[in-house]
Amino acid sequence: MRLVPRSSKRAQGATPVEARPVVVISPGLNHRARGRDQNGGQRKPRLRLRATLSLVAVGAGFMLIAGQLLRLASLHEDAPQAAISKPLATAFSRPDIVDRNGRLLANDVVIPSLYADPSVMLDIDEVAHELSAVIPSLSQAFIREAVQDRSRQFVWLKRGISPSTARAVHELGLPGLAFQYELKRAYPAGRLVGHTLGFVNVDNHGLAGIERFLDETNQTDPVYSPKLSHRKPVQLSLDLSVQHALHDVLGDAKRRYKAEAAAGVVIDVRTGEILAAVSTPGADPLVPQEAETPERADRLRSGVFELGSIFKLFTLADALERKAVTPDMSIDVTRPLVADGHVIRDPHPSPRPLTVSQVFTKSSNVGAGVLALSGGAAAQQAFLAKLGFDKPLRTEAGRGAFPQLPRRWNAIETVTVSYGHGLAVAPLQFAAAAVPIVNGGTRVPLTFFKRPAGWTNTGPRVVSRETVTAMRKMMRANVASKAGTGWRADVPGLDVGGKTGTAEIAVNGRYDPDAVISSFVGAFPMDEPRTLTLLSLFRPQPTRETGGKISAGVTAAPATARLIERIAPLLPTELLRKPAND
Amino acid sequence: MRGLIVIAVLLMVGSAVALFAINYETRRIAGDVSRKEDALEKLRADIAVYKAERAHLSRPERIAPFARNLGLRPARQSQYQSPAGLLAGPDGRLGQGATP
Repeated sequence: MRLVPRSSKRAQGATPVEARPVVVISPGLNHRARGRDQNGGQRKPRLRLRATLSLVAVGAGFMLIAGQLLRLASLHEDAPQAAISKPLATAFSRPDIVDRNGRLLANDVVIPSLYADPSVMLDIDEVAHELSAVIPSLSQAFIREAVQDRSRQFVWLKRGISPSTARAVHELGLPGLAFQYELKRAYPAGRLVGHTLGFVNVDNHGLAGIERFLDETNQTDPVYSPKLSHRKPVQLSLDLSVQHALHDVLGDAKRRYKAEAAAGVVIDVRTGEILAAVSTPGADPLVPQEAETPERADRLRSGVFELGSIFKLFTLADALERKAVTPDMSIDVTRPLVADGHVIRDPHPSPRPLTVSQVFTKSSNVGAGVLALSGGAAAQQAFLAKLGFDKPLRTEAGRGAFPQLPRRWNAIETVTVSYGHGLAVAPLQFAAAAVPIVNGGTRVPLTFFKRPAGWTNTGPRVVSRETVTAMRKMMRANVASKAGTGWRADVPGLDVGGKTGTAEIAVNGRYDPDAVISSFVGAFPMDEPRTLTLLSLFRPQPTRETGGKISAGVTAAPATARLIERIAPLLPTELLRKPAND
Repeated sequence: MRGLIVIAVLLMVGSAVALFAINYETRRIAGDVSRKEDALEKLRADIAVYKAERAHLSRPERIAPFARNLGLRPARQSQYQSPAGLLAGPDGRLGQGATP
């Protein structure tokens, strides 16, 4: 860097008298400039240089324009729009929900919503009068209140009205009433699958059940206009036909046995797919408050109950798994069992000792208590934890109710838990725990979604093959022989097996023998079960049909037979390999 | 040189005209596309309503009473037969000429 005299265009040819020092960064250029000055100015090369420079400048300008054009052309057309209207996006487009055979359970439809523009309304009284005549659910007082403020230009009057109502409102010809089209969820099956599907809010955002799961797993899209989702339908594991059959059978059982409510589930034990899940009375997804009322609550997932003797399934499996007993060993059940000062009696005490197998088929509480005490409280707790009772059951429909386990777990709790009292669980969680007892011994996560083809279970082994074989035999014997409590659940040719459970409901701290939950956990075909069923009837009443009894053997068991007979033809045909007459 | 300039100017004017034509054509096509997209959205919305209606009308609760009125019943286990049983026939005679 050095200091040189300044050469400007105006000073060309003249000798600089007083030079102002400037900093020249490029010395080479400076040499050339000085050279031209000394030669008295070479105009031709300077012109060429100028022309080249301006050409380059113009060229660069065009390049810029061309580049900008290319950029604009390659940009997506929607992008600027989306950026502008993003803050207005309030609705969500949701994928269709279909059952395992592709039958529609829920989809989005575009429907009109009515709004008012009070600023252009002429006569508020006329609007209130005529509009409430067309839409009776809108009271005149409500309409007056809504459109009172004349400074407003947008007030929702009714969101989601039918196209015919919209036409009627349009034909009123009143200024200040207009429609905006919105997405709304439709549930064609109504209450049938209501509990599982859950519901959405007015902006189509899932708040419960599968709908909520879809939002939580980003399967919905925010939209700025009523645009339907382009996503693939979500396929559930439910089979609408089986669901309907289960609903039918439960409704029938509720009427026959005058029960307050009923719940049931059908599970594929190999994949953990829930084929049907019903709690009746059901809840309408379009009326979200329904599922909140106690009588319409989902008893399958969100209620916990003492389920009674069906728990002997686990007590027996545990004892066999610990190799404490074999199915043929005898147990003395002739005398009551005393634990922590409490006396446990069987309702109909056996005069003779029973084999372990008979403890199951005759549903002896004393026998189950003895078996549980042979392992102790810790072993029982560990086994129940292995079956998943240490935490609530999680499915895509949401978290189930927390299981209520005994706070103290001494001998008496060990005994009562052995026959399903003193702990309360959601029926669906019970069913999930019963799956490994019949499917070969491995836990399978329950799912409401259809498993992909070729899915294999990698769940942990809970019980050994031998235990499963012994349990299957006992469950079958309980139904196959008239000596078993579950014989009314038999369906010729289908090899049904299972266990009854009649649990007294605690009313004001005391067990009421007239208020029971009658349950039957069943599986078929028993040599290699594919399907597990659980039916629970809440507070059945004695009827002539049941001979004045309310126990599971005369209520839940025959209902299970009707269910299995009905659903077997709907299930994969391999279940039907055994003809009825063999 | 002048000829070159004339040609360049003509080229420029020509390309400007072409550019404008393309511009207008593009806008027209874009308008067309968005109209078609709107129509498509409308059709999809209509289809969604029809799908929901069809599913609602064919829900099992509604179909079951009709089917029962027609004398139909759920299939029963006794209506099924194994392939071997089919070959044998109900009294063992039908299957005599059949080869397994």
